[in-house]
Amino acid sequence: MTGILILVTFVGLVVIAFASIIQKKLADSIILFMGVGLGSVILFFTFKAPDVALTEAVIGAGISSLIFLMALKHLGERA
Amino acid sequence: MSFKREVPTTVMSGFALSGVLVLTILNILLQNIPTKIQTAGDELLKLNSSEGVANAVTSVVVYFRGFDTLGEIAVLFIASLGIGLMLESNSKCDIKAEGNFMLQTASKLLFPIIMLFGIYVMIYGHLSPGGGFQGGVIIASGILLLLISHKNFEVPHSVIIWLETLAGVSYVLIGLIGLVVLDKFLGNFLPNDISNMGLLLSGGIIPIIYIIVGIKVGSEMSMIVQNLIKRDGDV
Repeated sequence: MTGILILVTFVGLVVIAFASIIQKKLADSIILFMGVGLGSVILFFTFKAPDVALTEAVIGAGISSLIFLMALKHLGERA
Repeated sequence: MSFKREVPTTVMSGFALSGVLVLTILNILLQNIPTKIQTAGDELLKLNSSEGVANAVTSVVVYFRGFDTLGEIAVLFIASLGIGLMLESNSKCDIKAEGNFMLQTASKLLFPIIMLFGIYVMIYGHLSPGGGFQGGVIIASGILLLLISHKNFEVPHSVIIWLETLAGVSYVLIGLIGLVVLDKFLGNFLPNDISNMGLLLSGGIIPIIYIIVGIKVGSEMSMIVQNLIKRDGDV
């Protein structure tokens, strides 16, 4: 069961990461990047690394994406 | 434009200084190439129980590699400083659109819970997964929620400066006290009996240092977020 979960998450992670880099709009890229962070949280947790999972959830999926979004707002029309 | 533009001497000297530093570091690294692959992790995990800390990761991060954590905090401080210098603006915090009714109500409801969770993660860092870094960033995300929902909310600059300075100074002071008492920088000079493992008051200086790290990371991340939001008005 855990093996299937890991496999599905990993394949989904690769698909989302690839979708993130081929987006035309930068905002969509950032949203998909958050998805990559969430997928890695599940992976880290199933590999028994809750410390890393918590860090990834807070920093990778949370605040860094929000900082990206704020930077995108600064760019405005130029993006 | 012409390619023979005058380069300021400060920029030139900055480049020269960084070049010298890079060469020095390369020289040091090349002289100390390890002969065999070291497996530090297992050794540290065997030593873990000597500190009386339930979470092995915390005892590695804060105690056995405490000096590295000090360096990481310095890196975060430099990042915060750089953002503050680059985005420094004289205008007051004026975000044009205030958050709508739902965002405001939800932020009032959520902010105490987020703060409580951040402080919990920070204080229980030596017992359960989490710690200073994560707790600090959770607190900063709570402040971000208030910043995007309330128009006039702003964390006072002086509060952040004092919190950050006190946290940084007390980290180094605790390390120096350990140096005086135990002949070891960041030595664990408080009682850390193994029979207390799993209690809130256990592990000697480790929970204290993690709380200090949390305060410093929280204030620095809040500063970064606030600086990034502040300029919204004049772009």
